[in-house]
Amino acid sequence: MKMGKKITGTLVIPVITLIAAWIICSSQGVKLFETQLNLLTFIRTVANVSLVTFALAINLNSGRFDFSLGSVALLSSVISSKIVLALDWGPVAMLLLSLCFGVIFGLISGAVYVSVKLPPIIVSLAVALLYEGLSFTLTGGHGVSFANSARLLGFASIPNFLIIIVLALAFMIIVFDRTKFGYEYKALLSGQKVAVSTGIREVPNALLCYAIAGGLMGIQGFISATTNGTIQMSLNFGSISPMFMAFLPMFIGGFIGRYSNDKLGYLLGAVTSAFISLLYVRLNVSSSVQQITSALLLVGFLIYLNNEGKLKGLFVRGGGKG
Amino acid sequence: MENEKKIRKENVKAAVFRFAPLGGLILLFGIFMALAVIKDINIPYSFKNIVNQSVVVVVAATGAVFIYTLGSFDISLGASLCVSALIGAMAYNATKSLPVMLLTCVGVAVLISLTSSVLASVFNLPVFVTTIAMLSLLSALALVLIGANGTGDVIQVPAAAVRGINNVWFKLIILAVYLGMCVFLFDFMKLGRREKFQGGNPVCAKLTGLNGKRLAIAAFAIAGVGVGLGAFLTITYAPTLSRNTASSVGMDIIISIVFGGMPVSGGARSKIYSAVIGALSMTMLNQIMLALSLDSGVGQIVKAIIFLLVVSISMSNSKGNILPR
Repeated sequence: MKMGKKITGTLVIPVITLIAAWIICSSQGVKLFETQLNLLTFIRTVANVSLVTFALAINLNSGRFDFSLGSVALLSSVISSKIVLALDWGPVAMLLLSLCFGVIFGLISGAVYVSVKLPPIIVSLAVALLYEGLSFTLTGGHGVSFANSARLLGFASIPNFLIIIVLALAFMIIVFDRTKFGYEYKALLSGQKVAVSTGIREVPNALLCYAIAGGLMGIQGFISATTNGTIQMSLNFGSISPMFMAFLPMFIGGFIGRYSNDKLGYLLGAVTSAFISLLYVRLNVSSSVQQITSALLLVGFLIYLNNEGKLKGLFVRGGGKG
Repeated sequence: MENEKKIRKENVKAAVFRFAPLGGLILLFGIFMALAVIKDINIPYSFKNIVNQSVVVVVAATGAVFIYTLGSFDISLGASLCVSALIGAMAYNATKSLPVMLLTCVGVAVLISLTSSVLASVFNLPVFVTTIAMLSLLSALALVLIGANGTGDVIQVPAAAVRGINNVWFKLIILAVYLGMCVFLFDFMKLGRREKFQGGNPVCAKLTGLNGKRLAIAAFAIAGVGVGLGAFLTITYAPTLSRNTASSVGMDIIISIVFGGMPVSGGARSKIYSAVIGALSMTMLNQIMLALSLDSGVGQIVKAIIFLLVVSISMSNSKGNILPR
């Protein structure tokens, strides 16, 4: 593939989205990036969405649907914040603790999956219930609040979010594209039976996938907690909603992956989502309109992806006739 | 001789696995009755509660079995139930007619279900992702409906209007009629056999001439009827509807179906009774937690462990050498 086509394919979606958002904002007499706060909101959304998208894609690409991602973020941020508040530690300690607990809870989730050998969707339902219940019990149902902790709330800055985004992307590319684990992951992804027959050990690979996804969600839980200043409790699957914001970026990432790296694609998908979110914020769009627009965008993009051949055929035939 | 013994042993093992969900329900019932005697709980009142709490999920989940049999998955059923109930309530407020409310609930739910399946069929979209988008759309639609037609944050049907039908027998009759229809279609008609075949081996089903898209549309339509009836029953039990109406029903449906022993991959081992067994078991479990005065968090932890245990036993007969996906 030629370099020009690669660059165009990689950047076309985020660039078109940015231009569209810019034009819509301008037509309403609003600047998309007017203040430093707008930029902070944008970068924070990119960090949040990209982490969830990486975590979701790791297992979903392998056919493992994981409802427990949000509950891993919830439980790891609850425990890390409790420790940090008790010992009066700073945000870096909380970040590292959230990461560690995320890895541990992801690993436990994976361990349950490989032990009971049930479909991952079922295991993730049970794990989500379990982690939500644990979070609720640990906080007595009141959640955690650190609205008075300026140190923890002070973490939310553009450089900090950028560091997290760059490190997460680098980690994902190195681990999944440059290591033996990554090669085996891809082999299992494209042909599970054949890969296992050739001697690839599926169980450790799956465990590591869950651990990495858990770690990423731990960081996402930390960002969410330090941004809001509180951690709200969820029961009866209330924790699964963060997962839904990752579907559009994941499919965009899959499209971009044809032209460059799929991990970079997920990040650019998150950037695209962040442009759309910022547009909503700048135009004060109501949450119901936001939800409807996002759902229509997801369906529209999927229709394009699943009918690309037919659409191109129509376009070529139409062009010939014209 | 040796072989016969082995086969008999295998058959017994298979039967134990097959009946594990039913065994779980009976065990939970036994525990509940023991607790009721020990703690002097009002048993008729508790049974009324169990019916009231489980009937909506049983009706909606029984229809959803048709979707699961195909190996598909619909996460938007709870949101669909909410929107159907809201529009049904609006229809009642406009006409003051309960039959109109019932027909509206069912009509709207079927329409939503058909939209999902037709969208997925016509544009070759993955059904699951389509239902995720529908979940978002319907949640937003619920907000719009309440904003446009409600009083504050709710849409209300006068409690007096539904008092006459808010009784256990009426709910059980609706459940029996719908369950009977589903059992007939699933176990005694071509449709059920075809759905199982399609879910078990879609390639083979296609080669024998089965139209997968048509089967999917039929499955979603039947599930839509269940969701519509569930919406109607929701209004009779709780006539004040908000954006949170039936918020947990979507996930309860999945849990109930799986708890009842239904394989998520669908196919020949699908059972129409799964939803009934699963939903009753989960409600019974909730009643036991209540009787034990367990904290909500601890209750959910126990629920998760029991869920995993029962499903693990009921599906342990079908585990292969590679990890399931």
